[in-house]
Amino acid sequence: MKSALTILSFFFLASSAQADDSVSAKAIIKSAIDNYRGVNSYSEATMTIHRPEWERVMSMKAWTEGLDKSLVRITAPKKDKNNGTLLIDNNMWSYSPKINRVIKIPSSMSNQSWMGSDFSNNDIARADDLIDKYTHSIVETSEKNGITQYIIQSVPHEDAPVVWGKELLTIDSRYIVHKHEFYDQDNKLIKTMTGSDTKLIDDKYVSLRQRMQKSDKPDEWTEFETQTIKFNIPMKENTFTLYRLQNPR
Amino acid sequence: MSTNWRFAWRNIWRHPRRTILTMLAIAFGAALLVFSIGFQLGQYDLMIKGSVSIYEGLIQIQKKGYLDEPKVRSSINNIQLLAKKLRNKTSIDSITARANGFALISSEKRSYGTLITGVEPAYEKLVSIIPGTINEGQYLSSDSAREMVIGESLARNLQIKIGDELTLMGNGRDGSIAATIMPVTGIYKSGSKELDRNLVQIPIQTFQEIFSMGSHGHAIVFYHDNVKNDFAFKQQLNQLITDRKDLVTLSWDELQPGIKQMIELDYSSGWLMYLVLVAIITFSILNTFLMSVLERTREFGIMLALGYKPFNIGKLVLLEAFLLTIFALILGTLIGLAINLYFYHNGLTFEGMEEVASMYNMPSTLYPQISFESILIGPLVIFIFTIISAIYPAMKIRKLQPVEAMRKI
Repeated sequence: MKSALTILSFFFLASSAQADDSVSAKAIIKSAIDNYRGVNSYSEATMTIHRPEWERVMSMKAWTEGLDKSLVRITAPKKDKNNGTLLIDNNMWSYSPKINRVIKIPSSMSNQSWMGSDFSNNDIARADDLIDKYTHSIVETSEKNGITQYIIQSVPHEDAPVVWGKELLTIDSRYIVHKHEFYDQDNKLIKTMTGSDTKLIDDKYVSLRQRMQKSDKPDEWTEFETQTIKFNIPMKENTFTLYRLQNPR
Repeated sequence: MSTNWRFAWRNIWRHPRRTILTMLAIAFGAALLVFSIGFQLGQYDLMIKGSVSIYEGLIQIQKKGYLDEPKVRSSINNIQLLAKKLRNKTSIDSITARANGFALISSEKRSYGTLITGVEPAYEKLVSIIPGTINEGQYLSSDSAREMVIGESLARNLQIKIGDELTLMGNGRDGSIAATIMPVTGIYKSGSKELDRNLVQIPIQTFQEIFSMGSHGHAIVFYHDNVKNDFAFKQQLNQLITDRKDLVTLSWDELQPGIKQMIELDYSSGWLMYLVLVAIITFSILNTFLMSVLERTREFGIMLALGYKPFNIGKLVLLEAFLLTIFALILGTLIGLAINLYFYHNGLTFEGMEEVASMYNMPSTLYPQISFESILIGPLVIFIFTIISAIYPAMKIRKLQPVEAMRKI
């Protein structure tokens, strides 16, 4: 669920901003994220975890406010219904109706898989890190059908608490992220997130389908498919609170 | 031929003092090697036994591939039944089933990610030392009790005491969210920092229920005090699971390759020392043999003149070397063995090695290993080196000319 939000933060990048060649790499990433910031959203999505011998599909609802607040709640399968995750800034809480308790997820768990998927907890909470703690450069620019596409290389600063050696983002001038590749310290591709099904919704371009794929296991992936998404809807005041996390409407 | 033996025997006693000194040098070296190697191997036995008895066991049966990638779905169906069958077939009770997972454990105040293991309490006691190191509360009571035991460091980190409830969150085998609340009934202190901080145990059936495992588990763990016999045990277990092609039997050196590497490193660095010792002994022996050949040039000249073949004289010299060495080695080995037998019964305590010892769950009193390998390998190496060193003086004889040699002093 949180992963939904993270991904959303990268992919639901709607903008009318003009990006020309002089635009710096950092500005592209920053304005993409900034455009998303301050926007409320409500979405319904399914997550498919695919493995060679099995597959699991989960449905969820997600509310976001800006970049740093999000709430995700599972609606199906029945066994996991009402499990939820709340994300405020870089803090993460999990709720499970089985124990009727809210648990704060410690930062030491940030590299753990989220819900058994190919997303890690870390894939979520660090959208800001990508601006602050990385050095960006445009390595390639191409143009197709009037849309400019940039490949941006983002290298974390020496002191950044990041496991990656570098990241490559393919972003177009509509601020849609088509591809986000994660490389380790030895410059080996570890995993790739791809966005597809670009739609114009509420004046924003959105990738409705995102897939996370680990490089060494071609038949294992996790895919997010957004069924419904609404922007700029009024958000109840206590949406992003521990109380609401524990007491689903 | 027996003339040759008698000849050689008499020859070595022509210089009794020199012979005895040389023999003592060899005997001392041999005794030292027997002593050191015995203790070294004895220490390794304790190290292996200490390490495998903490938790991992001597042998484990797992699904193929689980060792490299411990995925929750790489599991064994009806694991308790299989463990029971193996106990019956082998008549060894120290075989237990386990299910492993990863969970977030939280107290009121704190959360930690830990390993979590479902165990059969009755048999876990025979396989791992953890149940025996409970120092507060008690161990798990049955296969399906809703309770957990945790390590001392984890208890301190979570700031909890016996009877407090902990929440547990993880992912089930079907990908669902596994969550529960259970009380802590016992706190163990295994001595392994990693386990004390990182391992939570719950009853196996409780584990299977929480993690949607059905009757599945991940490992059948085998332990036996006789760690030297690991290969035979492995064969025996393999025989019993020939119908399960999806399973694999792994011994301690595959489960914990670190210990094996550590031992190999220590053993080879030990041998570096021993070889220096052997080299020193070898040179002193070479000196003796060379002397005894050079001073007898005239004698050899006469023997040649009498029709002795140079080859036979060479053989005689080698025979002398052989006799001297073999008696010295027997003496040295017996001394070394006597020392080791003494310590085998009384033990040898080193002051100040408790820290190292606790790392491998070892007692700080060491006992030498008494086996063919530990007793014979050192003397054997000395034997080979001395015989090689005796070849050089023996070769010298081939160059002798009878007339010239007889004129030498």
